[in-house]
Amino acid sequence: MTWTRRKFGMLAGAAGIAALGVRAAKSAAKARVVVVGGGIGGATVAKYLAASAASIDVTLVEPKPCYTTCFFSNYYLAGMRSFESLTHDYQRLARRYGIKVVHESATAIDPAAKTVMLGGGAKLEYDRCVVAPGISFEFGSFEGYDQAAMQIMPAAWNGGPQTKLLRKQLESMEDGGLFVIGAPPDPFRCPPGPYERACLVAYYFKQFKPRAKILILDAKDTFFEQDLFQDAWNRHYPGMIEWLPGQFTGGIKSVDVKTRTIRTKGETFRASVANIIPPQMAGEFAQKAGLTDQSGWCPVDPVSFESTLQPGIHVVGDAISGGDMPKSAFATNSQAKVCAFAIAAALTGSAPGEPHLYNTCFTILSPDDAVTDSISFKAVAGAIRIKDIFVSQVGESDELRREVAQAASGWYAAFTHDVFG
Amino acid sequence: MIANGRAASVANLGCLVALSIAASVSALAAGPVTAADAARGARLAAICASCHRLDGRDKGIPSIAGMDQKQLVVSMAAFKSGARASQIMHAVALMLSDEEIATLANYLAALPRETKVR
Repeated sequence: MTWTRRKFGMLAGAAGIAALGVRAAKSAAKARVVVVGGGIGGATVAKYLAASAASIDVTLVEPKPCYTTCFFSNYYLAGMRSFESLTHDYQRLARRYGIKVVHESATAIDPAAKTVMLGGGAKLEYDRCVVAPGISFEFGSFEGYDQAAMQIMPAAWNGGPQTKLLRKQLESMEDGGLFVIGAPPDPFRCPPGPYERACLVAYYFKQFKPRAKILILDAKDTFFEQDLFQDAWNRHYPGMIEWLPGQFTGGIKSVDVKTRTIRTKGETFRASVANIIPPQMAGEFAQKAGLTDQSGWCPVDPVSFESTLQPGIHVVGDAISGGDMPKSAFATNSQAKVCAFAIAAALTGSAPGEPHLYNTCFTILSPDDAVTDSISFKAVAGAIRIKDIFVSQVGESDELRREVAQAASGWYAAFTHDVFG
Repeated sequence: MIANGRAASVANLGCLVALSIAASVSALAAGPVTAADAARGARLAAICASCHRLDGRDKGIPSIAGMDQKQLVVSMAAFKSGARASQIMHAVALMLSDEEIATLANYLAALPRETKVR
């Protein structure tokens, strides 16, 4: 690295070279950052830290060899994209950026000793730690739904085996069957996700099981981009999708996997395929590491993303109490960059610069009809608040919607390149 | 122009800083660029990189790597005012000050239009 330093050295002359020698000796003891979790947040932080300063040694701890994105998995459920196209490995992060990728589970953090414990018994020392644990599910919020039940009524709210299981169930479902989506209360990962899923599964049904129906049992009374979705359901899938808000049903009270039935306060629904997306909280590791408060999420400083509960540990992504920022891959990527620059500045003594937080989501209503939201954020009194927000409108031209749908796949390619190298 | 090893990665901010300095020193197209400006340009370009590949290998998203400095400043001004329609770019342009846009434009202009992937 030193390409830059060497250049400056040559320009500075002999005295400069001597000074650089001292600096080089100091940098032998590199600052160490350990990143726990190799999803969008963890991978982005690791990459941007490694790229920002050669004097920072970055280790990424992630047990899985590959990451399958949850975003765009609704395309896979509709048979429009392969599972492989959603799956990314860590080889480029290691090769191009010199990140040490350790495929083990982190079991604990000792904030006093500044070490991360690994499942294999090793300890990693750090100057700063970043935790990007994603979400976990609140089992027990309704009767009959636990880890085992999830194998019959999948959540499919992390990219992976659950996504494949749901696709398999949808493929083997009879024509005329009922597909039930249980939509969670706020806050949850990917606010448009359950409703986009209804769209794309309806698109699949329209071609292969035209008599099938979709029922969304929502815990909420309203949802993000509701007008856009309801307009799209009427135009593209008339009579196919029914949405029942929480105020009508009281939400899901219990499920029975044996009979594939879902009960609300007053009604029982028998599903051919049930996709239960449970209430959510921060990933388990965040809870174990003392990074969550009573809300179940991780409070952080909105400029550095340092935990307000555990100094020296930063948290990014779906696990944080994000204020107005949605739990999305894009928002996570944006937070991760701001976090990486803040850590690099703290460790190298340079200026961090103005933080810019931004989110955009491409939401697919049908293969040629997609919408977006574009939101910028600012930190106000310790919380993240919306600065500007622009959302697609009902009644936009077919041409504009087609352009957005086409841009979506280009975005996926560029975005995953940004995250995984 | 791009060396082997770590320097071949366009997204390597450290190397981009070096490239940017080299390019602007030789071209002097947009006034003097300090190392601090280049580092700032790299951080601002990270915002773009969520949608635009900085190695110029975009598919279906307009490429901005190596874009003419003035063209980028004019485009961003049009996105900011709404003269050029794009919901996404309108929000992005409003988020950046004119001074930040100028720094970013200098930085992007110094990038190669396309970089070979290793």
